[in-house]
Amino acid sequence: MCYVVCREININAVVVSPTPQHLLEIDDRCTYPKCTVCLMYCPAEGSIVEADTGRSLVPPPPEVWTENLSWPRQP
Amino acid sequence: MQPILNNFLGKWVYPTGFTGPGVDFRLRQTERCLPLWDKLVTQAIQIAEKDLKSGSDEYKAVRARAGYAAEGPFMSLKQMSTQIVSVTIDEQSKYIDLQRMRARQIWDEVKHGQLHADVLLRGGWITREEELMDDPRANTQPKLSYFGMTQMFPHIHPLARAGQHYYNESMACLGIAATLSVIDDDFVRHQLRSQEAEELMHFMEGKYQIDAYALTPEEQKPIEEVFDFLLRPWASEPSRALGGSK
Repeated sequence: MCYVVCREININAVVVSPTPQHLLEIDDRCTYPKCTVCLMYCPAEGSIVEADTGRSLVPPPPEVWTENLSWPRQP
Repeated sequence: MQPILNNFLGKWVYPTGFTGPGVDFRLRQTERCLPLWDKLVTQAIQIAEKDLKSGSDEYKAVRARAGYAAEGPFMSLKQMSTQIVSVTIDEQSKYIDLQRMRARQIWDEVKHGQLHADVLLRGGWITREEELMDDPRANTQPKLSYFGMTQMFPHIHPLARAGQHYYNESMACLGIAATLSVIDDDFVRHQLRSQEAEELMHFMEGKYQIDAYALTPEEQKPIEEVFDFLLRPWASEPSRALGGSK
C-alpha cells in the first residue's frame, strides 16, 4: 500500500509484500532507524510496522520526525 | 479551526522527513493555505448535511457524475499526462522518484473514475458506463484551478505541479474526511473509503516534492506562483470558457 520512494538508495523504499503491510528494511543500504524520511510521506496508516515492536509507524510517531531525525542531518 | 483540519495537520502536514529550505518554504505556503482549508472543511460538512436533508438519493448521482468528470478517463489522462511530460527526458534522472509517484497516480485517478461509475451503476442511474460519455454532467470540469492550470504545467516547470498537489489534494483529503463524518450511506462511504489513502498519497507527493526539491529561490518561484494563482478567490470558481454554468 505504500508507494513512497527513496532518493537515498534510489529504489522504492518499501517492499511490496504479499501481506497488507510492508516491511521497512528492504535493502542493505536502507539506514533505518537512522533515516526515517520515508515515514513522513507514507499515506496508509499501519502500512509500515516497526519490526521489533509491531507498532505502526504511519502516521509517524513524534519521536521519529523530530528535527534531529530528519534528513539530511543538521550539522 | 475545524477539528478535522487540526487532525490532518498534526498527522500529515507537520511531520517532516527533511530539514532545510524546502521544508521552510512549504511551511510558509501552508500558512497561506490554512484559512481556505478550514473553510473547505466547513463547507463540505454543510453540503453533506444539506444532501442528507434533501430527502432524495439524487445527491449520490450528482456527486458521482461530478466525480467522474473530475477523475474519469478524460480528466485523469489529461491531467496525469501533463504532470508526467512536465519533466523532459534529460531531466528524468534528476526527478526519477518524483516521476515514479506521478506515474502511479495515473492508476489511482483512473480507478477513482471507476469508483464513481460504480456508484451510478449499482445505484441504477445508468446501465453501462458508456452512457456517461453522453452526459455533459459527467464530462465537464470547468475550474481554471484544475483543468486550465493543469494544461500549463509542461510549459512552466517540473516542480510547478507540486503546488497543485499540495493545495488541491489536501482538499480532497479534507473533503473526504468531512463527508465521511456526516454521510452514513454505503455507496458514498465505499467510494470515499476506497480512494482516501490515495488522495493522501497525492498530497504527500506535493509535500515530498517541495521538501526534497524546492531548495533554491529558482525552484521555489514556480511553485509559489501556483499557490498565488490557486489562492485567488476566482480560481476555483467554474469558468464559462471551460463549460461552467455560473
